[in-house]
Amino acid sequence: MSLAPTHDQADSAAAKTRGITRRQALGAAVATGVGVGVVRLLGGSMQHIAAPRTGTTTDWISPLKTESARVMHLLRRTSFGHTPAQLDAALSDGFNKTIDRLIETAPAEPPTLAAANAPGGRFPIAQLQQWWIDHMFSTSTPFAERMTLFWHGHFTSDYRKAADDTFMYWQNLTWRRMAMTDLRSMLLQVTVDPAMLRYLDLATSTGQSPNENYSRELMELFTMGAGNYTESDVREGAKALAGWQVPQPDATATVVVDAKNNVTRKLPVYSGQKSGVFNPRRAYKGSVTFLGKTGQLDTQGVIDRILAQPTTAPLIANKVAQSFVTARPSPAYVKNLGDTFRRSKYDMKTLMRAIFTGPEFVADQSYRSLVKSPTEFMVHAGRALGVSSFSKLVAGHGSGMGQTLFDPPDVNGWPNNEAWISSNTVVERVNFVTAALGQVKSSLPPASDAIHRHLDGVLSPQTASLLNQAADDRARWFIALASPEFQLK
Amino acid sequence: MNKEAGINQLKRRDFLKAGLVFGAGASGLAAGYAAVPDAFARAVYAAKKEGMTNENILVMIQLAGGNDGLRTLVPLADPSLHDLRPKLAGPMVSQALPLNSQYGLNHNLGGIKGLWDKGKVAIVQGVGYSNPTFSHFESIRIWETGDPSRRQVDGWLGRTLATNYDSNGHPLTGCACGATDAPGALRDLQATLTVIQNQKTFGFTGGTEVEAAVGALYKGTPGIYGALFDTAIATATETMATLRTSASTYHPMADYTDQVKLVYSSKNQLAAALQLAAELIVTGTGVKLLHVTLGGFDTHYTELNRHDDLMGYLDSAVSAFYKDLAAHNMADKVLIATWSEFGRRPKENASGGTDHGAAAPLLLIGDPVNGGLYGAEPSLTSLDNTGNLKYSVDFRSVYQEILSGHLGADAPKILGSSFDRIPFLKAPVVV
Repeated sequence: MSLAPTHDQADSAAAKTRGITRRQALGAAVATGVGVGVVRLLGGSMQHIAAPRTGTTTDWISPLKTESARVMHLLRRTSFGHTPAQLDAALSDGFNKTIDRLIETAPAEPPTLAAANAPGGRFPIAQLQQWWIDHMFSTSTPFAERMTLFWHGHFTSDYRKAADDTFMYWQNLTWRRMAMTDLRSMLLQVTVDPAMLRYLDLATSTGQSPNENYSRELMELFTMGAGNYTESDVREGAKALAGWQVPQPDATATVVVDAKNNVTRKLPVYSGQKSGVFNPRRAYKGSVTFLGKTGQLDTQGVIDRILAQPTTAPLIANKVAQSFVTARPSPAYVKNLGDTFRRSKYDMKTLMRAIFTGPEFVADQSYRSLVKSPTEFMVHAGRALGVSSFSKLVAGHGSGMGQTLFDPPDVNGWPNNEAWISSNTVVERVNFVTAALGQVKSSLPPASDAIHRHLDGVLSPQTASLLNQAADDRARWFIALASPEFQLK
Repeated sequence: MNKEAGINQLKRRDFLKAGLVFGAGASGLAAGYAAVPDAFARAVYAAKKEGMTNENILVMIQLAGGNDGLRTLVPLADPSLHDLRPKLAGPMVSQALPLNSQYGLNHNLGGIKGLWDKGKVAIVQGVGYSNPTFSHFESIRIWETGDPSRRQVDGWLGRTLATNYDSNGHPLTGCACGATDAPGALRDLQATLTVIQNQKTFGFTGGTEVEAAVGALYKGTPGIYGALFDTAIATATETMATLRTSASTYHPMADYTDQVKLVYSSKNQLAAALQLAAELIVTGTGVKLLHVTLGGFDTHYTELNRHDDLMGYLDSAVSAFYKDLAAHNMADKVLIATWSEFGRRPKENASGGTDHGAAAPLLLIGDPVNGGLYGAEPSLTSLDNTGNLKYSVDFRSVYQEILSGHLGADAPKILGSSFDRIPFLKAPVVV
């Protein structure tokens, strides 16, 4: 099959009826240097010339009218792309049945991480990162990993402050199991999650002298959004939530922490995953006024007050929409999603089904309207190349692109979309492709896969031209994976 | 350096045309901020006849998370501090480095104290804004945009880039060092800027062949992110070329070290970022506005050790930076200023830390500074209804002095208004 763009009579005619010829479009592109002409390359022939939507701007030509393109669009956004076998299975099932499978299949459990038995959770964070990335590559349910990554960015914690990598491991196991349950269960669990108890300081808060950190971020970032509660709510919520502590260890182990100076420490050992424990002596005794109601309030009461607020459902709906559909969800779309979510008692399956089956998901404007996070980009590249794992490479390259797993920049998790694009991050993305290809010593899949199975055959003139000039498939894979097209989803 | 050719041999007119189109599309895209462009800014630069008004340079250091002002500039003689902070107050008062009978610097700020003694440190007390928000992200945005009403989407330094510099299409005019994404303060739809996390690894593995291929690949990219991608690559490529030259001529004249023991480590390499800033400054790359970040200031717990460590880290990095600039005869051109989204609550919490606060002091460091204390001393006994320090100086007064006095920029245009002057500069450019 030739990748060379040859002129297609029928489509040229179609282009002419829209009042623009290919030569004019390409000529304009050369003149201004910004996207004016877009070439769609499918089956080795150049087919369409973009019909600028506004007369002056251009966009990618959406192929989402076709079933196969919808399936690939869905897998890019939900599953870190796909392996050839996964794509074939999804194409055979079709778009709707694939949505059912994504939502209804229980998450495959990752293998146990032996290092997590280390006393005090003292093991290199790289082991935890690689363990997770390995599972992203090899799991039979990549959507569960995509959702786990979503919740890792929402109910976020970082390993530095959690100061116990076993706690971070547990938190990861928790989000995988709960990712598609309901918001109420998740809020009750995140409040007593040991890593979160440390990360936002609830573990050291007391009713007498409350620490506001968790109370504030619970409302601002996890549920209601800034401006929808008062400073008094933050203080009163902090009182009501006080009393939780990290779980008691089952034993302690004496570990040499500094061999040179023969320093030892007694570190906690846990026989299995645990949640925080409530210590009534540290709790607040009196009544509080929280979100408009006064009385005795426990953690469950705090969560239920928050779930009764009208801004909670839209906040989650907006974040999910920005992660899976469009960088700019319309207020009406967010309202609809939020209403559906709240009516379902905050059921995540209902929300995600509404996301994937809604017309917005496959609208032309949604095509390539999101930027892959660094982890999605790297894992997709690895899966496209057919390597079983290069988790070490992936774990090592995230930082320069702005994403280190278990180490978010701040309590707001990771930013999205345009925030992933800077002079530093794009160079690092290209360097990852170079390193990844360097690790593939065996033969590569045919480069036509890259174009048709991963880029839908929708290429910019520059990408198409460079692919045509490339000497071999290795060079073509480099261009495809380093291209702007592959950074998008 | 011939910048006329630009990244795509584009004419200014084309950029302006494209810029308008892009701006229309991108303005809605950004959630809270302008998107980070862009080659289009070069056209704006080219449109200016005047060029730079002086050779002054600004380095903003963000103390991210909310720096505890009371542990930075310590009130030495106020007994209420000990009531508010039974655990934290004792050591911080007894060890502080006195500036006068009332105030001392954190004991780990020895290098900065040395600069104070030479009249090179101004401290503005009680800096904040009215009706403060206690959200990190809202307050960061307010400081970054210079707009407590939260309507402005461009950063105050980004607007400065777009409004005041004819930098001949130089993407290094504004640079974020030690970061992977652009700080909000530097963002503007019409400003180009460079982001470099780590100079040692900033470059294409695979060398010029890869650089050429990628340069060809990222041109005319369609879609809402197209211009962002293309500009990112063009900016990176130009910056790499500049750094190849600067790296060969720059010899650091101070010890920069990031080997700092922190109880809860910061995510940023402050010293490396400032060393890169020094390289860009002393090798004459034309850099004007630099931004670096030190994180870890959200000290809700065990603040005693953590905050002291952070102060020490800040001190050693800033001291090395100043020494390096001075050795290269550039200290008279550079103003260093710290900022943080808020101070911390005067009253400590159960975790041995402090919650989100309001007003706090800012440090201004360098030869251009007229050393001393500015602003009113905040009262520890007359707190606001959230138990926080009341502000006496609007943070935009500090911005205004930096913009007009140091950079010679059009402060009222950039800030949208005029504010009381805080005369912390020795010889303001524009009065």
